[in-house]
Amino acid sequence: MIEFTDVHKWFGSLHVLNDISLTVTKGEVVVVCGRSGSGKSTLIRCINGLEPFQKGRLVVDGFDLGSSSVRLRELRMEVGFVFQSFNLYPHKTALENVTIAPIHVRGLSKAEAEVRGRALLEKVGLGDRMQNYPHQLSGGQQQRVAIARSLCMQPKIMLFDEPTSALDPEMINEVLEVMVSLAREGMTMMVVTHEMGFARKVADRVIFMDRGAIVETADPETFFTAAKSERTRDFLSKVLHH
Amino acid sequence: MLGSLNTRVMLEYLPAIWQGFLSTLMLSAAGFAGALALGIVACALSIQPLRWLRLSATAYVDAIRATPLLAQLYFLYFGLPRLGVVLPEALIGVVALSLNSGAYVAEIIRSGILAISRGQVEAAISSGMTYLQRMRLIILPQALRPTISPLIGQAIVLVKDSSLLSLISVVELTRAGQMIAIDRFMPVEGLVATALAYLLLYYLLKLVAGAWSHQNRLPGPA
Ligand SMILES: Nc1ncnc2c1ncn2[C@@H]1O[C@H](COP(=O)(O)OP(=O)(O)OP(=O)(O)O)[C@@H](O)[C@H]1O
Ligand SMILES: [Mg+2]
Repeated sequence: MIEFTDVHKWFGSLHVLNDISLTVTKGEVVVVCGRSGSGKSTLIRCINGLEPFQKGRLVVDGFDLGSSSVRLRELRMEVGFVFQSFNLYPHKTALENVTIAPIHVRGLSKAEAEVRGRALLEKVGLGDRMQNYPHQLSGGQQQRVAIARSLCMQPKIMLFDEPTSALDPEMINEVLEVMVSLAREGMTMMVVTHEMGFARKVADRVIFMDRGAIVETADPETFFTAAKSERTRDFLSKVLHH
Repeated sequence: MLGSLNTRVMLEYLPAIWQGFLSTLMLSAAGFAGALALGIVACALSIQPLRWLRLSATAYVDAIRATPLLAQLYFLYFGLPRLGVVLPEALIGVVALSLNSGAYVAEIIRSGILAISRGQVEAAISSGMTYLQRMRLIILPQALRPTISPLIGQAIVLVKDSSLLSLISVVELTRAGQMIAIDRFMPVEGLVATALAYLLLYYLLKLVAGAWSHQNRLPGPA
């Protein structure tokens, strides 16, 4: 589904992705963690072409992102992206937020899109909030709308960039629950998060990044109990015991 | 002084003032329509990726903002015939007003667009929208809302600026007031009558602005 081969990226002279090789297969859930500035966001933003890279090869769902003729729009229809700051459209209701891309990008009729959108909003527990505008919703609710908005395009891959970091603690779980059920339904997911409970529960693999490189890849059990790299253990001791 | 105003003469010239009022209204409306069109185009050019198109939009805005409207007006009035383009004075006036106001409109709309957060654009891009879809569905609806009141402000400036058209012998409100001054040697009566008519126009615009903003309050519960 996602295949990085020796990918490098620079912001000016800053080497933000350093020789990334990583394969994510269909249905896999991969959690990415690492310190601030280690390149986690940049890594997943490359996957839907939000960030270009300079060297290496990246193929996502058959689309070669290095090639100049890649049809990015078609790729993006298959890849959902959930942002830390939700980025809901403030001038649209929850239901409109969810249906706008299916209507205008996928070409669904308004009625079809609304059937789909309502079902998804129900599913994330917001059946009674469809006509509300984002500013009338709590952070947790907004993020659930944002997840429903991505799902409404029926993507093959879902990317999450610290989806719960902007939330008050009491709202984190309602969002994680939605993500857990998505993972259990077999969605291919890459999730940047420091929610280690989530990683334990559903991740097939956990990746630790440091200074643009992947320094550790392991299944959650091994990752939390027997990480090979010193830096990973150091990081874990800080995340797990604070 | 106001007590000594010759209201009889002012009333006598009411039809002329009314004609001037209508003419100013029309010239301004046409000028502002042109300004909106030009402003939207210039703004679109200033935020698209091609460098030379961006530079030409900037050059236009700078040239207009750096020079007085009167100079621009005379430039067209005396310059166009030299190029063999002979237009009626009123049309030259409207073109000058549009060119002038268009630059300010471009800047107003641009600032609205630049105020939209990068996250909005990224969300739209990530959902597979094209550039035009992003503009039409996500960016412009959000960007234009806060520009309404500065745009109305610009329209008010344009109405007043249109008085300069009297200098290229377009008959409008200021010109009509000057007639009282010249025919009857009563400059104060002429000026007061004109000022009252401009005031009326100003309140009309404020009324429009009020109605518009009432209709377009931020969405939400009543
Ligand atoms: N547009 C940009 N221009 C220049 N440098 C950038 C840009 N975006 C990110 N960087 C730099 O690239 C590095 C990696 O950034 P990235 O956002 O991927 O880190 P991150 O691991 O997601 O961090 P965080 O946990 O803070 O979100 C950082 O040093 C950052 O300052
Ligand atoms: Mg980040």
